[in-house]
Amino acid sequence: MKKILKLLSLIVVFTLILSGCSQKAQNSEGSSSMEEGSSPEELEESTKDESVEVEATSKTEPLTLNLEGGDWGYPTPYAHYARGPGIYKMKLIFDSMMETGEEGLIPFLAEKWDIEDSGRSYTFYIRKGVQWHDGEALSAEDIKFSFDYYKEYPPVMDDLARSKKDYIEEINVIDKYTLNIKIKSPDATLLERFGTARIIPKHIWEKVEDPLKFQGPEAVIGSGPYKLADYSKEQGAYKFEAFRDYWGYKPAAATLRFIPVSDPILAFENADIDIVAITPDILSKYQEDPSYKIVESPAFWGYRILLNMEARPELKEKALRQAIAYGIDRDELIDKVARGAAKIASPGFLPIEHSFYNDNIKKYDFNLEKSRSLLDGKEYEFSLLTGNSNAEVRIAELIKLNFEKIGIKLRITSLDMKSRDAAIKSGEYELVLNGHGLWGTDPDKLRIFYNSEFQETPGYLNEEIDALSNEQLVCTYPQKRKEIIFELQEVIAEEIPMLTLYNTSGFTVYRPEKYDGWTHVFNHHEITHNKISYLIME
Amino acid sequence: MMFDCFKKFFEYSIIFFFILTLNFFIPRLMPGDPFTFLSSDEGGVHQSYSEEQIEMYKAYYGMDKPLQVQYSDYFKNLIRGNLGYSIYYNDNVLRLILRSAKWTLGITLISLLISTIMGTILGSLSAWYRNSIVDRGLYPVMILLSEIPAFLMAILLLFTLAAKSSLFPLSGGITVFGEYETWFDKLLDVLHHGFLPSLSLTLSQLGGFYLLARNSMITVISKDYMRTALAKGLSSKRIILRHGLRNSILPIITRVFMSLGSVLGGAILVENVFNYPGLGRLMREAVTVRDYVLIQGIFLVVAFLVLAMNLLADVLYKKIDPRVG
Repeated sequence: MKKILKLLSLIVVFTLILSGCSQKAQNSEGSSSMEEGSSPEELEESTKDESVEVEATSKTEPLTLNLEGGDWGYPTPYAHYARGPGIYKMKLIFDSMMETGEEGLIPFLAEKWDIEDSGRSYTFYIRKGVQWHDGEALSAEDIKFSFDYYKEYPPVMDDLARSKKDYIEEINVIDKYTLNIKIKSPDATLLERFGTARIIPKHIWEKVEDPLKFQGPEAVIGSGPYKLADYSKEQGAYKFEAFRDYWGYKPAAATLRFIPVSDPILAFENADIDIVAITPDILSKYQEDPSYKIVESPAFWGYRILLNMEARPELKEKALRQAIAYGIDRDELIDKVARGAAKIASPGFLPIEHSFYNDNIKKYDFNLEKSRSLLDGKEYEFSLLTGNSNAEVRIAELIKLNFEKIGIKLRITSLDMKSRDAAIKSGEYELVLNGHGLWGTDPDKLRIFYNSEFQETPGYLNEEIDALSNEQLVCTYPQKRKEIIFELQEVIAEEIPMLTLYNTSGFTVYRPEKYDGWTHVFNHHEITHNKISYLIME
Repeated sequence: MMFDCFKKFFEYSIIFFFILTLNFFIPRLMPGDPFTFLSSDEGGVHQSYSEEQIEMYKAYYGMDKPLQVQYSDYFKNLIRGNLGYSIYYNDNVLRLILRSAKWTLGITLISLLISTIMGTILGSLSAWYRNSIVDRGLYPVMILLSEIPAFLMAILLLFTLAAKSSLFPLSGGITVFGEYETWFDKLLDVLHHGFLPSLSLTLSQLGGFYLLARNSMITVISKDYMRTALAKGLSSKRIILRHGLRNSILPIITRVFMSLGSVLGGAILVENVFNYPGLGRLMREAVTVRDYVLIQGIFLVVAFLVLAMNLLADVLYKKIDPRVG
């Protein structure tokens, strides 16, 4: 009996410990074990002769870039994990009609496009002479096929989102290199969604009925600048090789290697990897040395606090929300928690470096006096739910201290990430702190986050916000749309239905002598997560 | 005797059933599910699934059915030897586990073996030369070692032997994309990578075995037959080995089997320090992403191993100690 108890308690303890200390897992090393990619030998075989040629044709030593690895899944649109490092590895293999560039979308598989019939008809002119990794030619048929296939089997990155409510009327292949898409009603987000959907080869995928289980050398045939040469799930390692018949921009490296590291900084110091993200604390170590280059990322990753107005109806009062907003010392948070590597988040949500950011809106500088006068002597008590990372717990504690001064008592509960996400989904919170990326993407985010249809703030309804956010979606004139979004930010800042805290910028350091082509794109904070960083863009 | 065996089998079956049931429910009782991603670690990016995608995945993995149906499906599949298909890793769970279990078993068995032998030898010496310089030197060191958790030891070793002096690799189980002339080179590479994880586990177990061996030996030394052996004028080597060790080894053997659980527990943390591709890393990731199917599978295998070792300890104990049974 004693043994039973012992064993049971062992299992229980494992579960608790592991769910408790799990939050640090993914970022760096990610995951674990298993299968050596479906058949690396075969892959190796088929690419060996080509890699030799790459070496022969380039005059200088072929470049091998080493990056931090970890297992992020097999890089097909269906088998990669739903996290940044999995997404961009898949994108290296699979091209799309457009890619994100430094200033905006740049043509890739589509050379140009027309939007007609007030945003109801999209015509894409596909580049000629594009080859799949197996030598077949890519045509407009492949693009139509991909769009239809994603309707039946949504991929991990389902930006097209056709499966439930299809907004596409018809897709016509006009000739081998021209594709027309007719849609039911105009939508300003569609160009980017069409443009960045990954194109898969029809001649391979038309036979595939269970795309989640479809893995192996055939599954990673794309038209992108790199081919998968080796993958070890167990070790968390990938090897990509340049595709020598790529249609355009030259792949910057002959080989990309993603290798497992225990500590990224140590690995960078050992020159095991060539680029690494660093905390501001060790910035000075690299600043003096000219053999390193440091870049600060655009601040597109941020923390915000959601208010549940269904659980606490008093939060429907604007004065209380504004009082809370004035009671948060964002400078202190940036100083003490982010060590200076962050920017104050805009109360209108879109970050300062966003191309749609409106600077001319109500700001909430830390002001306890204003806070107190807005509260007018009333006292409140709320519970604040956070994740269990150091940063989140510190943010919560610092906010609590200031709130005490204005008569708001906070009870802080800290849970692991998955539990907190579950609480957000089920609405079991009063205030919740949440951190995530992609603040730099299409401003339609404002509709998702503030329109009452989506209930991001449970129980909140503002007709002006609803109207403006719906209006910008169907407005296909860029300048007009921008004006609407500027106005929307003004209303949101005044209403402050959720509290934005700060956007982290973060630093990345690399050795320019080895490779200096690292580039940020207009909407993403990670310098290694875009395709143009791995291409020579001339 | 027959009845005893049957009783034992019945006992273990009940325990196993309990474990299977807990295995099924505990992951599902944890808040969160495998498909909800609403936040990331700082700097990380995630792709949130839409409601339609979540519905599709739930149907795909049979998680849209009521819990009791899933529970009975789970047992039906287990009887067929099917541990299921991992949600996060998109792969067969049994295959995933076998792939990583070999790494974990490697470092745990090696460190268990070495720590047992070393611990027993040192403990016996310490007992035999009790209160001598050897004993006084070893005793506090071993007490200290037995109190340092394996993962802390691992971090110390990582910084001193791998990071500072580059004697050993920082992480991994084998050189990635390595090419080997012979299988022997490959073995050397694996040993090179496995050395520090094994060393951390060995050191953390060593203290325990030393203390046990020392105590056990001290008890044995005070026995009359030892005095007789001395009086017969036997050599001290013969006395320690034939008369002493043989009698003091019983509790050590039991401990070897019983400690498998704690060594596995230590290995889980040590693997995470060295980024070693074993079960521990797999388990941590499975829990983080709420991969129910994989969590179940790993716990099942670990529970099975520990139970099997307990059973073995029971059986062996009877064999070598005539007083039991």
